[in-house]
Amino acid sequence: MNLTKYYYIGKINFVNSFVYVWDRVASSAFVGLIIFIFTQLWQIIYSEGQIISGFSIAMMLWYFVMTESIVTSLPSIVKRVGAEIKEGQIANYLNKPYNYLLYQYSTYLGKAVFNFFLTFLIGSIVVLPILGGIEFNFLNIPLIFLAVILAISLNFILMMFLGMFSFWFEESGSLRMIYNKIVFTLGGMLLPLEIFPQWLSKISKLLPFSYIAYYPAKLFVNFNFGLFWQVIRTQIFWIVIFSGLTLMMYKIGVRKVSINGG
Amino acid sequence: MVAKLFKLHYEYIKVALSTAMEYKVNFITQVFAMILNNSVWLVFWWIFFNKFQMLNGWTMEDVILLYSIVTISYGLGGFFFGNRLNISHLIVNGKLDFYLTLPKNILYHILISKSNFYDVGDVIFGVVLAIISLSLSQVPLFLVFSISSGIIFVAFAILVNSLAFYMGSAESTSKHLFFGTLALSSYPMSIFKGAAKIIILTLIPAGFISGIPISLLKEFNLGWFLVTLGFASLILFLSIKVFHRGLRKYESGNLLYVRT
Repeated sequence: MNLTKYYYIGKINFVNSFVYVWDRVASSAFVGLIIFIFTQLWQIIYSEGQIISGFSIAMMLWYFVMTESIVTSLPSIVKRVGAEIKEGQIANYLNKPYNYLLYQYSTYLGKAVFNFFLTFLIGSIVVLPILGGIEFNFLNIPLIFLAVILAISLNFILMMFLGMFSFWFEESGSLRMIYNKIVFTLGGMLLPLEIFPQWLSKISKLLPFSYIAYYPAKLFVNFNFGLFWQVIRTQIFWIVIFSGLTLMMYKIGVRKVSINGG
Repeated sequence: MVAKLFKLHYEYIKVALSTAMEYKVNFITQVFAMILNNSVWLVFWWIFFNKFQMLNGWTMEDVILLYSIVTISYGLGGFFFGNRLNISHLIVNGKLDFYLTLPKNILYHILISKSNFYDVGDVIFGVVLAIISLSLSQVPLFLVFSISSGIIFVAFAILVNSLAFYMGSAESTSKHLFFGTLALSSYPMSIFKGAAKIIILTLIPAGFISGIPISLLKEFNLGWFLVTLGFASLILFLSIKVFHRGLRKYESGNLLYVRT
């Protein structure tokens, strides 16, 4: 299988993102506002030099910048794929010399990487002057970036998986909304799992959603190699499982597509 | 004149209701999803207060009351004036022509010509929370605030959407300003201090949507009560003025389209 074409699809979408940069800046600024609200919130909770569940206030906020940057980097794929299936645009992909899933992946990954950096930059502009930085080894950046890319990929494949339900059900918007909120909470986007009651934290750690937000952000604020290997192994495991399921659903679903000319 | 507008509003809601009933499963799913969506925020706060008990004087009960007022006022706005967030789209795409040619109040007609039935989910959610958290003596004041916050939401939507008259493509900007306000109003006002506090009581009216009403429900103060009602009236007046001023700049795109 020749993967070069997917590299170019991703690259085109990455470069294309610069065309709509102001629109994206507005979205990232919105995330910046939420990050600002959280700086206010945590400043009330923390007293001088306090550590809560292993997090200093700066770690807590940088954790939040990281989770927000990852989770909001992808658009609502469930909705878009749902619309493509319902409106029949999916037919456009059938006669093209590429794999549908890989095509979508390279398209969205290109945009997501751009969005990730932009939101991270805006989040940093909000947090840095208020709370300063955290202890950080710059040599770990490539490893953390790998965990981020895998987190975005896992988020992508889970959304594609939900999008596939549109072959059978009309309404996919509600699924998207519920999925987002699961990532916000159980995934640890809003609060690190250490803050959760123990029973809920244990459940969240078992589910794939925490590998989208909690684990990569935890690596960012408190890196260790043991955790790094465990995180990327589990991320790859969930990506493989859900890729298989999504592909299966796509193959079954696409047989139901009836094309009436165009 | 006013009676005729109400009659028109009633007819629009009837049509929207029959459309929603055409796709019953869809409608029920959306309402249910909206309730679930709101519940997640309560889960967040439940985890938070489970760990920290209090946030600058705010407790879980106060947050429940806050969500009740925000979801009811937002939901009522979406149900009765569902087109409030589409105004900039109509302006940018030259779609106001339809309203300009009819002998009805233009702004009112735009606002009512869409009704978001899934916002019923927000209202149901808010009412359930109100039943849990309110004492009987708080109910009249709560109803007044649900309406005043609803007015502020709709008026603010008109204001930010009217930017499209001046800026051209303002769809994204107005959407972010509106949802930014919604986000700010969904957090306890006590976390904001200094400039942030001044902003949420002036430029971005989030404080008058939830923070001040909650403080007044806990401890009534006639002065702040009147300020809140005055603010709701002022922003409504301003939004109508700004819209009509902007309307003079409106240029039709001679676009032909079918309204279904």
